[in-house]
Amino acid sequence: MSTVVEVMEKTTGAMSSAELAGEQHSRATVGDFTVADARMACREVEVWYGPKKAINGVSLDIGKNEVLSMIGPSGCGKSTFLRCLNRMNDTIDGCRVTGSILLDGQDIYDKSLDPVPLRARVGMVFQKPNPFPKSIYENVAYGPKIHGLTNNRAELDALVESSLRKAGLWDEVKDRLDQAGTGLSGGQQQRLCIARTIAVSPEVILMDEPCSALDPIATAIVEELIDELRSQYSIAIVTHSMQQAARVSQRTAYFHLGDLIEIGETNDIFTSPKHRLTEDYITGRFG
Amino acid sequence: MTDENPPRAASDLAGGHTVRRYDEELAKLRAIILEMGEHVVGQARSAVMALVDRDDSQAYRVLDREPQIDYLSLDADEEVFRVIARRQPTAVDLRIVLALSKIASDAERAGDKAKIVAEQALELKKLSGDSDYLRDDLRAALGRLEDAACSMFERSIRAVVNFDVALSLAIFEDEPRLSDASTEVRHLLGEDDQKGLSQRQVVCLLTCAHGLVRIGNHASNIAEQVIYVALGQDVRYRNREILIETLHHQGY
Repeated sequence: MSTVVEVMEKTTGAMSSAELAGEQHSRATVGDFTVADARMACREVEVWYGPKKAINGVSLDIGKNEVLSMIGPSGCGKSTFLRCLNRMNDTIDGCRVTGSILLDGQDIYDKSLDPVPLRARVGMVFQKPNPFPKSIYENVAYGPKIHGLTNNRAELDALVESSLRKAGLWDEVKDRLDQAGTGLSGGQQQRLCIARTIAVSPEVILMDEPCSALDPIATAIVEELIDELRSQYSIAIVTHSMQQAARVSQRTAYFHLGDLIEIGETNDIFTSPKHRLTEDYITGRFG
Repeated sequence: MTDENPPRAASDLAGGHTVRRYDEELAKLRAIILEMGEHVVGQARSAVMALVDRDDSQAYRVLDREPQIDYLSLDADEEVFRVIARRQPTAVDLRIVLALSKIASDAERAGDKAKIVAEQALELKKLSGDSDYLRDDLRAALGRLEDAACSMFERSIRAVVNFDVALSLAIFEDEPRLSDASTEVRHLLGEDDQKGLSQRQVVCLLTCAHGLVRIGNHASNIAEQVIYVALGQDVRYRNREILIETLHHQGY
């Protein structure tokens, strides 16, 4: 429906994109993929790795103050799609993205748009906690410093504290801010990464299986944090845990072989999904 | 659902999990419910037989067998807890577990109603001695009420086997027959020429009729749960005529 913006103009071999696209029609998505107050609006998004199409014309909105979970079997494209939302796929050689992805109405693949500040506006938390090999303080302060978000040390201190508080970590680390972030437990490291993401005032937070390396207690703390963060941010989370998707999100999107099969209210998806593939997956009948 | 999105066969709703043990657990839960249902139908028919034949031994057999249904109800609850705790069911599985739990409750309560009919049969026998307290027309009306209630309950349990929407629909369509039979019994008991019966006898017979009607009502509740599983729609408290018309419109 929108103009096609090619991010990476790479040769895809003997077969043209059109020919390849002709081989794989996108399936119609079941459910309304739009929301009234969209923070991000994705339309007909396709992702290609060389000649291979990984995402097949996906359209969906991410609303303000909502958690959208993306579920699906391995290789379904959910992480690939997530990485499109802050142009992380730009770093992959041979990957190109078509369609449109708007953040507050602005095309994030516009050639004039610098992806570095975009990644501050659309932050990302990864599967494995990846704190910098620096102090806890520096882990949080690093982003604001390079983006020039504070004017002096006092402002930076205040930002570090507020970010750690929002991430529910302040009380646990306030007396050891100079210690290495890598010395924290896995759950604390993940919350430190969330604090690091929050510190640069994002509008959207992307989470790629943020709890898969955490124990159930740490997972519960992060899930509680996700629920609290929703009041200020839009959150898109990729998870392999159906229970986690059911617990933390308001809407759920089910991906299958690069298609967005179904999207809807999480309550509906987990009680009465409309598509057979969705039902098969969430009830453990897939494959 | 479209060609790309074919509905699952009703008979396959509870099966096909990657973890086969999950299939077995759901099958076990359903088997308990089906066994309960069979017992309830048997109990209801025996209780009415005890009533119309003035057969004490038949009534006592109903009372003796009633705890079996209660024990099965406990087994069903245990299985429901176990499946929820171990499998955290979602979507159709969640609907199946919730529905079977409610169906177990309906079957248990229907079993109680059969027991009440048997108790009333014994009470009537005690009140009436060897005299036949049922006039032919009342006997026939009670037979029609029993037939409507038991046939509804029997079909509701059969509907659970394959989560059969069409069979559930047939039960809804049979509700007027149950209602008419109940009205007929009440009218006959209210007629002047039933004066041969004492007030206590009339109360006993009305209690029996009410118990049979309730068995039919439990059958309708079960049919609603079957539709909830198969179609994912909660049809309780919906206008029955509109529901029947809608289901017909959907091809059932």
